Amino acid sequence: MKALALTLLIAVTGCANVAPYQRAHLARPDMAFESNLGVAKAMEKTFPAKEGASGGASVGGGGCGCN
Amino acid sequence: MQAALALPILVVPARAGAAEVGEVGIAVLGYKERGLIKVTEPIIWAKGRFAEVWEVSGSVAVDIVSGASPQLVSNATGQPMQTITGASVTDRRKIWDAKVSRRFDDTTLAASRNVSREEDYLSHAFGIEVRHDFNQRNTTLVAGYGRSNDRIRSSDDPLLDEGRDTREYMVGLVQVLSPVAVVQSTLVATRGEGWYNDPYKQTLTFYPSGSPPFAFSGDLRPSSRDTVAWLTRYRRHFPGSAGTLHADYRYFHDDWGIRAHTLEVGWVQSFGARWSLRPALRYYTQTAADFYSPLVPRPQPALISSDQRLAAFGGLSPSLKATLRLESGTTFEATAGYVYNSRSMRVGGEGSPAFQPLRAYYGVVSIVHEF
Repeated sequence: MKALALTLLIAVTGCANVAPYQRAHLARPDMAFESNLGVAKAMEKTFPAKEGASGGASVGGGGCGCN
Repeated sequence: MQAALALPILVVPARAGAAEVGEVGIAVLGYKERGLIKVTEPIIWAKGRFAEVWEVSGSVAVDIVSGASPQLVSNATGQPMQTITGASVTDRRKIWDAKVSRRFDDTTLAASRNVSREEDYLSHAFGIEVRHDFNQRNTTLVAGYGRSNDRIRSSDDPLLDEGRDTREYMVGLVQVLSPVAVVQSTLVATRGEGWYNDPYKQTLTFYPSGSPPFAFSGDLRPSSRDTVAWLTRYRRHFPGSAGTLHADYRYFHDDWGIRAHTLEVGWVQSFGARWSLRPALRYYTQTAADFYSPLVPRPQPALISSDQRLAAFGGLSPSLKATLRLESGTTFEATAGYVYNSRSMRVGGEGSPAFQPLRAYYGVVSIVHEF
């Protein structure tokens, strides 16, 4: 956990500013953190329904029985 | 209660620098466990931006669940085994959500609502979120608060009607690292109080000697649960090879004793402007909850659950996604994946001996039209 925090800190503090005109690659669909809205929702409980862990990306999603 | 899907509402900025006016989409998920349940879930959604600063989105989904779910863990055959009891179930879960957000220069406020309804489970949730861009929009900070109120019932026990209240707190960061790399990190802490027992899980243990010769226990869990999940996602595009690396890692722990690590690595390979393939591999490992036991100990403890989702195990899941983007703004996507969970897949030692391997297949197809 500490290693992850340190890595993140180095990554954030070590990055250069990217001007808007340099962001063409960042706007690519395959740079998205989620799939499209429907697929992201469909997959949200597929793994957590069979595992002890869940969450991390959002709040306010509510629950289900999930047997 | 057999449903396997739920909806998050407040998702932190999904794409850095993207601009779109709106979209409509439909997706269908199919999930099948070998010998157990089958889930089909159609979803429709829409999202639109109005007057430059307002964005509204909403979705409706139905889970159609059929098949059987393991209810009893018993050592009647010698070793503790999951037993499927009762008839095959059919259940429907209806979900809807809505979210509205407004941008004020570099700050965006959002509010969301989510309702999930099953025959034996009802969940109402809401969330609020504030997002602030600075550093010439190279950095975005996110904070969120969510709350859900659930009612737990049972089709086996008409008298069961219990509640559970969960509060969620989120902080997050999205950082542009270079013209081809971006990272997102979010920390979500939850505090839940209420009914956590699963009304469909029981444990039956026969003893080789002593009296009484057997013990039967329902699912008895703590009345609260605190969790922390820390998710970090990294995206890097390689223009020379027309490929994009996806790397996600999540650390999870709770006060039940579960520690879990999830790592997913994917590679998106473009073939021209229209086609792309994304092979990915997901690995998961967790420790057992303190009160997990496939046998009822003597003397019987106050807390016990034989639900193998609380056992120590690991899992591997390969998947492949194909995408076709048309110039008209319509995108077709199809994903196929396989899930294999077993005790031997756990990192750092053998998992719980009673864990029975899970093999499942899933597929998702979607059509989205942006306008």
